[in-house]
Amino acid sequence: MAKQYDVLFRLLLLGDSGVGKTCLLCRFTDNAFHPSHISTIGVDFKMKTLEIDGIKVRIQIWDTAGQERYQTITKQYYRRAQGIFLVYDITSERSFQHIMKWASDVDEYAPDKVQKVLIGNKSDEEHKRQVATEQGNKLAKAYGMDFFETSAFTNHNITESFTRLAELVLQANKKDLDLLRVSINDEVDLAALEEEAGMCDGSSNTQKTCWC
Amino acid sequence: MDQSVAIQETLEVGENCLIAVQCLLLLKDCTESRLLGLVEHSKEHALFIFTHRRMAITGNDVTLQKILPISYDFSVVEVSSPDELSVVGADTRVRVTFLNEEMELKLPFGSHTRLFLTEVNRAWCDVCEQYPASPKFTWLTKYQKTSKEPGLLTPSATRKLKKKGKSHTTHTDNKHTSTSTETTKGNRLNESSHGREKVEVRNELVRSSQHTVSNKAQMLTMPQFGLRDNLVKCELLKKEETYTYIENFTFFLGTYNVNGQTPKESLQTWLASTSQPPDLYCVGFQELDLSKEAFIFNDTPKEQEWMKAVLDGLHPDAKYALIKLVRLVGIMLLFYVKKEHAEFISDVEAETVGTGIMGRMGNKGAVAVSFKFHNSDICMVNSHLAAHIEEYERRNQDYRDICSRMLFKQLDPTLPPLTIMKHNVVLWIGDLNYRISDLEVDHVKNLILKEDFETLYNHDQLKRQMEEEAVFVGFVEGEINFQPTYKYDTGSDEWDSSEKCRVPAWCDRILWRGKNITQLSYQSHMTVRNSDHKPVSSLLEIGIKVVNEAIYKKTFEDIVRTLDKLENECIPSVSLSEREFHFNNVKFMQHQAHTLTLYNDGQVPCQFEFIQKLDEPAYCKPWLTANPSKGFVAQGASVDIELEVFVNRSTAPELNSGQQQLEDILVLHLERGKDYFVSITGSYLPSCFGSSIHMLCQLREPIQEMPLETIHKLSLLPSEPNNTDTEKALDIPKEIWMMVDHLYRNGCKQEDLFQQPGLRSEFEEIRDCLDTGSLDTLPGNNHSVAEALLLFLDALPEPVVPFSLYQQCLDYSYNSSQCKQIISLLPHWHKNIFNYLTAFLRELLKNSDHNRLDVNILATIFSALMLRPPTKQDILEKRKAKEFFQHFLVQESH
Repeated sequence: MAKQYDVLFRLLLLGDSGVGKTCLLCRFTDNAFHPSHISTIGVDFKMKTLEIDGIKVRIQIWDTAGQERYQTITKQYYRRAQGIFLVYDITSERSFQHIMKWASDVDEYAPDKVQKVLIGNKSDEEHKRQVATEQGNKLAKAYGMDFFETSAFTNHNITESFTRLAELVLQANKKDLDLLRVSINDEVDLAALEEEAGMCDGSSNTQKTCWC
Repeated sequence: MDQSVAIQETLEVGENCLIAVQCLLLLKDCTESRLLGLVEHSKEHALFIFTHRRMAITGNDVTLQKILPISYDFSVVEVSSPDELSVVGADTRVRVTFLNEEMELKLPFGSHTRLFLTEVNRAWCDVCEQYPASPKFTWLTKYQKTSKEPGLLTPSATRKLKKKGKSHTTHTDNKHTSTSTETTKGNRLNESSHGREKVEVRNELVRSSQHTVSNKAQMLTMPQFGLRDNLVKCELLKKEETYTYIENFTFFLGTYNVNGQTPKESLQTWLASTSQPPDLYCVGFQELDLSKEAFIFNDTPKEQEWMKAVLDGLHPDAKYALIKLVRLVGIMLLFYVKKEHAEFISDVEAETVGTGIMGRMGNKGAVAVSFKFHNSDICMVNSHLAAHIEEYERRNQDYRDICSRMLFKQLDPTLPPLTIMKHNVVLWIGDLNYRISDLEVDHVKNLILKEDFETLYNHDQLKRQMEEEAVFVGFVEGEINFQPTYKYDTGSDEWDSSEKCRVPAWCDRILWRGKNITQLSYQSHMTVRNSDHKPVSSLLEIGIKVVNEAIYKKTFEDIVRTLDKLENECIPSVSLSEREFHFNNVKFMQHQAHTLTLYNDGQVPCQFEFIQKLDEPAYCKPWLTANPSKGFVAQGASVDIELEVFVNRSTAPELNSGQQQLEDILVLHLERGKDYFVSITGSYLPSCFGSSIHMLCQLREPIQEMPLETIHKLSLLPSEPNNTDTEKALDIPKEIWMMVDHLYRNGCKQEDLFQQPGLRSEFEEIRDCLDTGSLDTLPGNNHSVAEALLLFLDALPEPVVPFSLYQQCLDYSYNSSQCKQIISLLPHWHKNIFNYLTAFLRELLKNSDHNRLDVNILATIFSALMLRPPTKQDILEKRKAKEFFQHFLVQESH
């Protein structure tokens, strides 16, 4: 049953203007796709709740302006992300080449522990492809990232890539979380029942020791 | 414990403490406990903060420390370290601010805190919705005297958002109020001074960093306040039928009044009397121990003895786990389940109610266990009601007392405690002590011999009382097909042979309440001869709501998805009339404005603010302001923001020299919401105002006639010219010459020259004339030209006396010849201007009869412009600068 155990963290979508960051977000959170391109001028976000490993994970996904002139401003959002998607468009060689620049900005401005996943979006537009899957794979490997080719249009690999990044973030923060889990564990187990049933609810216990 | 009661006692009629919470106030190195109460009076709310002794029970336990009216200036935000994962389950930290008051509080984890914060937030939202009407809080004024910190109720509530005017003023105001409250501080309230320090710091940075981006996410979690979890629970409950199905489990219920005896024989004939091992056992005893010690100390060795006897007597074909043992003096209840079911038992709570001596003692009463089995709430009650044949009314009363006083606390402390009747299934066993009425003892024994239980049952008090609905309403008892279980000679099956010769009775009974329950057996166990009672058992088959995990998961996910959607729709959102603004042909000291309209197209009211960018000191460049730079937009409403460009003497030099452009990106942040980028661009027309002397000396043409590249290149040259430069260049900037010459020719006798302000419109004409060369003679009256000259000197990036010589001038200000010596060190063009201007001023002094100027006036005005320090100037320095300058005015006049 639902445990009182919740994690909230932030994922950030980065990449050139027009690679489909907003579409990825809409597809993942609303399961919707709007083909027309309206540039994000600012920083937008949406919430989504996932369950990973029995842990309720609430993720806040930040969608950033990709246009170059805003990059100095968007950089200040990096440091608060636990996970970052580097997104390029498989039909744009240029957007792929820029990944290196995005990645070095991330290295400079994001926290050390930040988890990264490389996304080649628009995989449905095979006929216009300029970046081979192998190139994406190779780049991801060089940076030690996971790699997905996705399509917000066909809903290909969307949940997979978001879930994967969320898992990576959880793993990276596992130590902190485990500590917390011990202190708020409210699972019923037999040994505890036989000793003193009813008093094994962790949350009310902590409350008692601290608050009365 | 509801501490709002204590607060309520301190309040006046008409004021209600809606909810209270105990919290920790976080001070510099320690924490102190406080009680927070949300108090309402005719739809206005305020947060009352009390110090308190122990857990507050009465009004005497609390002392009012502070009141924060919940007005537009009030805010409460959850804070957690932004760079870490925030985990729900820890205590909640909030920052409460009201004007310049700020404090951090730690509230206990749990839904009560959530509820409290939700209420506070709701009160605040109400205020915001009323905006611009604001609550008056007149009812709070009387507390000003009693509160430990007077002066808190500053006329805050009426503050309006500033439409016009510089934003600095509000902040300095704040600072004033904060220092004035400082004096009223009692030394025990050291936390406030700590708070004040923080406030001061914040005020300093108010333009720059009040909203660092990192605040954002913390705010995000604010409006939900754990409501989310409650919503999920609520929705799950509504849809329970879709994800649960009924599965039958067997419950063995047994009751036995053991008359203070120790177990002497196996209980298997009673407890293991079923062919299949039951799924759950509910075994109740009465009169476990009749000793005084047990009664007074509620401690008895019999507990262990009987528990062991029960454990040994349970059905041998299954393994059982003890879930709960609860005992009140001699009334004991044991609850076992088959091991494989243990993981589906949760929320186990046990309670006791005494109804014995004085209606409270534990010689009579009940013990009970409340628990959840799969998704069904079950309550097991074992009671021992009042004795004696005539006391059936008393037994009814005991039942009612037990029902009303047996309260189980719930995991969620905001929920009211659970009563017995709130459970899906209630199993009630015990020595209920109801007797056979209106029949002689021999008649009764005769009927028993004939096994005419039906006739006998018609005289059963419990049956009659239930028919009259005087007791056990809604309960069911199975048909009794066994002889009365009371009273026997201990160790035998013989009826009571004592002097009292009691009438046999069905004292020991088993009843139930709830759906999907079938009794499989109901019997007594004659072979158990330990006591003057016989044990009774019932095997019930109960339909339990079992969760279909797959459907549950899907239902849960659906609810979560719906909530996510709801939440995403509730993220504050606005639309902007324009995202890019261009200011064309911006001139020195000429105001230009464009209007940005925000329309709140979201589903919630929202607060907006332009926030600072990384590594920048303010939310915008110094030549730009947004008016207002923060505010509130109601849902469906819009707000106009004036974006104003104004280039003054401090911003002009870098724009003239091309080191800066009119370019900026504003970040408009919605609290708990998105950020919008607004691009500002513009073209600046270079001006002689704010240009350097050496650049102007090398411009023979008006500045706006020159290509921008030339201007930019010239302004980067060193201020000390080489010879080739001076040959081509002017001796002094032609602009200075034009202004001084104009005044020399037209204004020497002008009354109050340099003392009366010029006209703004004329200044603009003069500026344009100087910058474009459009006219041969300067427009405007003498005062306007004089003012233009002063502005020109003031706007020089490097004053006539360069910064590097400033200190030296001051050091020798007493010595006339030293002063002249220093002037000879000035860079070529600067020296020219200095001499030119001082000569002009001396000329003016010759006409002092007309223009009423004297050395003192001119020295004051011009020393401040020509002898500027790189940073701020104090009075002593000013005096010295003036003294220095006077040497050049008086010298040749005598």
